Formats: sequence, C-alpha cells, structure tokens
Amino acid sequence: MTEVVVEAATIGPSELGPTPAQNLEVRTSRWGRFWDSAKLFAKTHKLGLASALVIILMILVAVFAPIVATHDPVKTTRGPDARLGAPSTEHWFGTDELGRDVFSRVVYGARISLVVATFTVIISTVLGTVVGAVSGYFGGKVDSVLQRIVDAVMSIPVLILALFVVSLMGSSIRNVVLALSIVFTPRFARIARGEMLRIKTSDYITASHALGAKPWRVIRRHGMPNLLAPIIVLASLTFGQAMIAEAALSFLGVGAPITEPSWGQMLSRSREYLTIAWWTVVFPGLALSVAVLSYNLFGDSLRDHLDPKLVR
Amino acid sequence: MIEFVIRRLLGGLVVLYVLSTVLFFVMRAVPGDVVRLQLADAGSVTPERMAEIEDQLGLDEPILSQYVTWLGNIVRGDFGESLWERRPVTEMIGERLPVTIELAVLAIIIAVSMGLLIGIASAIKRGTATDSLLRVTSVIGLSVPNFFVALLFITFLSLWFNYVTPLGYEALWNDPWKNMQQMIWPAIALGVSVAAAIARLTRSSMLEVLHADYIRTVRAKGASERLINYKHALRNSLIPIITLIGLQFGALLGGTVILESIYSLPGIGGLVFRAVQQRDYPVIQACALLYGAIFVFVNIVVDIAYGWIDPRIRRS
Repeated sequence: MTEVVVEAATIGPSELGPTPAQNLEVRTSRWGRFWDSAKLFAKTHKLGLASALVIILMILVAVFAPIVATHDPVKTTRGPDARLGAPSTEHWFGTDELGRDVFSRVVYGARISLVVATFTVIISTVLGTVVGAVSGYFGGKVDSVLQRIVDAVMSIPVLILALFVVSLMGSSIRNVVLALSIVFTPRFARIARGEMLRIKTSDYITASHALGAKPWRVIRRHGMPNLLAPIIVLASLTFGQAMIAEAALSFLGVGAPITEPSWGQMLSRSREYLTIAWWTVVFPGLALSVAVLSYNLFGDSLRDHLDPKLVR
Repeated sequence: MIEFVIRRLLGGLVVLYVLSTVLFFVMRAVPGDVVRLQLADAGSVTPERMAEIEDQLGLDEPILSQYVTWLGNIVRGDFGESLWERRPVTEMIGERLPVTIELAVLAIIIAVSMGLLIGIASAIKRGTATDSLLRVTSVIGLSVPNFFVALLFITFLSLWFNYVTPLGYEALWNDPWKNMQQMIWPAIALGVSVAAAIARLTRSSMLEVLHADYIRTVRAKGASERLINYKHALRNSLIPIITLIGLQFGALLGGTVILESIYSLPGIGGLVFRAVQQRDYPVIQACALLYGAIFVFVNIVVDIAYGWIDPRIRRS
C-alpha cells in the first residue's frame, strides 16, 4: 500500500501538467510525459506557442549574430552623411552618432541581454529553490534567519540593490549577473518555501517518512518535483524582468562594458539625439520590449497550462 | 488595532536592523575605498595623505568600533555627514525627498486609477473583444521598460507636437503649473507597468469573486449588475490588489532613479546614484534605510487598509 502511495507521489499531477485524457496510453518515462505536455501546450495555447517561437528566433539571432548582422556593429564611419543617417535600404534601422549600423547593433545587443538573463535566471532559480525548500522543510531557527534576510533584501527596490552591488563590485557582465542573482533569488526562495510548507503536510511525505527516507531524499524525490510548477512560471516571468534590469543598469552606465553593444547602452546614448534621430531610440527599445513581452506571454500561458484550476 | 500596528512596527525595525547591518559590513568588505577615490580626485595618492583623510573621516578605527559608533548615532537620529560634501546626510535627503515622493505618489495615483479602470472593464466584459484588447494592452504595458516609455514621450512629443518639457526644476509650491509639466510625463512612464500589473490582478481577482456563491445569491435576489459589480465583486476583490500596490511601490521607487536622471529631477535617485559611485557610505546607508523604512511603512498601511476594506479582518 505504501509503495503505491510513494509511486503516485513521484508522478504527481502537478509535476508536468495535465495528462491528456484522450490519450488512453499514458506514458511513464520522464521525457515522454514532457513531450505529451508540450504537445498539449502547443495545441491549447496559441499565444504561448507564438511567444515561444519568438524566443527561439531571438536565441538564433543572438547565436548567429555575425551572419544576421549586415554591418560590423562597432565599425564607425566618417563623413557628414554617415552619422545619424535615417533608415534606408543600406542601413535598415539607420545609423547612430558614430555612423554605426543600428540594425547590426540591435542584433549583437541580443547577446548580452540573453546571456545575462539566462545566467541570472539559472542561478537564482536553483539557489532560491534549494534554499527555500530546505528552509521550509526544516523550519526552526535557520528558517527564521533566512526569512528575515529575504525580507530585508526584498525591502530594497530591485534596481537600487542591483546598482549598489554592481557599483561596489565594478562593472562587468559577471558582476551584473551576480547583482541580479542577489536581487532575484529571494523571490524563488519565498515561493519554494511556501510550497514546501504546503507539501510537508501531505500524506505522501508522511508515508515516505514512515518508510524511513532521509530528509534529503524526501526533499529531492517528493518535495522538488511537486513545487516545480510555480517555480517554472516565476522563472519565465523573471527572465523578462532580468532583461529590463540589465538594460536599466547599462542605461545608467554601470552595466556591460561600453565596448559591447547592448540595448540599454544604446538607449542611453540616444538621449542626446532623441529629437533628431528617433531611430536610435525606437529600435533598441522595441527589441527589448518585444523580447520581454515574449517571455511574459510565455510565462502566462505556462501558468495556465501547469495549473488547470486557473483556466476560465 | 494599536497593538497590531506596534507589533508590525517592531517587525519592521528588525528588518531595517538586519538590512543596515548587512549593508554596513558588505560595503566595507568590498574593494575600492572612498579615500583613494577622493585623493585620485585631488591628484596625489600618498600614504600620509591617506592616513590623514582616514583619520578625519574616522575610517581608521577598527570596523567593529565604527559599527557601534554608527549604530549609536542612528538610534539618536544622527545619520552622519557625507564623506564628500561634509554636510549632514539628513539635510541632503531632506532637500531631495519631496521630489521623489511627489513623483512616486503621482505615479501610484495614475497607476491605481488606470489599472482599476482597465481591470474592472475587462472583468465586466469578460470574453468579449474589449476584454481581449484590454488584456493585450495590459501585458504590453507590463513588458515595456519605463525608461523606454519616457524616451518615447520626449521624442514624439517633440517631433509631433513641438512640445519640450520646461527646463530647470521648480518645486510644486513655487510654480505648480511648471512643476506638473515636469512631473507628469515621468510619472506616467513610471506608472505604466504598475497600472498593467494592477489591471491584470483586478481582472483575475474580480472574476474569481464573480464566480462565488454569494454573488449568485445576490443576483438571485434581483440586484442590478451594477450593484453586483461595484458593491459586491469589487470590494471583495480589493485585498489582493491592495497587497500588490504595496509590493509595487518598491519597484516604483527603484524606477525613480532612472526617470529622475532622464528628466533631470533633483530627487533621491540621483543622490543614491552619485553616492554609490563615490562610495559615500553614510549617504548610501541612510538612503538604503530610507527605502527600507518606506517599504515597511507602506506595508503597514496596506495591512491597516485590509481592516478598512474587510470588517472580518478588523474584528479578528
């Protein structure tokens, strides 16, 4: 009997979304269940699918930037006509104040944005989830101390805290990732802790205790899979926020080094030429907005998909 | 009620204490110190000059003794002097705080009114084309960074309407008209994403309530849709919305740094930005505590608002 309970827990319903009811044969392998879930997602969430495609397209553009870009993003061109040129067939998004091709810079800018957001989300998701789950499972003094730290970190505005950390550590891509990870980790810790408190009282956890499972095994085998759904959704939404925060830091001049083209820095430079060269502000800003929008839409659809209760 | 507020205030003090202590030690542990920066500014870095300035600023004491002195002063309301301007930090903050508060309050007013309006309309007209349009607008509003919105305002107001925000900051009580012109655009830019977040939550929160049994009862008793929507549904869905407003206030304060820089407003944001770059410890500390205190205060107000909205909470 207990065997059955444990088995049911490891393939809990919330782990990878609803199982397609019309499919009589339910796959049991991890990959198979993921694939079924993904197919159902693509079928039921058209907007989510579209945003996923935009995200994939953006990753491809970033990876193959040298092929996609039409010009060298850092090559400056001299001459009165070359600077702040309006969009044309030669320069699709126009040129900036140093005669650099805005389209190529937007394409290369995707790289920093994606790299920073990806690493930030991975670090804060893993760290926050582990800390939150462990803290929620054991409770006690460690939990209270961790919660006070989470409260303290979350009481400082995101951008200000990130600004503190980057300025104190020095501007580099690594430090921007570090700063944003510090800023975003507490949210994951808070969600994971809340979920863990809920899961801890479940029968399958009691059963697994009765079977003599060690705490670490309980957390890993039964806690983690069941608290994953809200974490995945938060990760997707955080991705967009991390991109905005990175751009904001570059905008303030403490983000990525100025030698690298980044959207935030392009927006910052455009401030001097706003009224005479709208293309220097509109295109990098649009690229950033569309990227963030895709992650937000994807996160929304994922939330509906992973939590069928919310669908109305 | 009073007991509740006092308990929350004490909890807030603990948060602020943890915050300031962590900041104090972290800031002094990382490389790059204010003495070197100041001497590099003056042109010569010699060991003697460094020792002299360290002595003046009290940075040569052991770190624990600096910590105790600093904590003792804070309890007495003395936040120290700026290491660069040699002026009391409280004075510097006092000059700039009204600008930031005005910007934030204006933004929150815009965000709450827009957000509630859109969210309510969306929930009432659920499933229609209007609803879809409003939902798409909200998610776009949530995704567009506030500094991009601000830059678009400047660019297209100038290109299409030949309108330029008046230069040279004027305080609200000196020249309200000019002040409003300078404040309204950054406030809208700042409020857009908060409005979008409020709209989304208002919609889902109201839909949840509209499915509740008591709404069906009210409807069965013959209440008009208008009465159902505003008196019963909206009021009961306000709790999560108020919570969100409290949380978003922090994000809003963070955004002021960037918008004050774009619109050249002399607020706290600019002060923090400069202080961080110059390693002006007392200013950074005081500003961090200020942000923390505002956050704690706003959340206490939020908790009090719960009781005001929902009598059941007030009684318990």
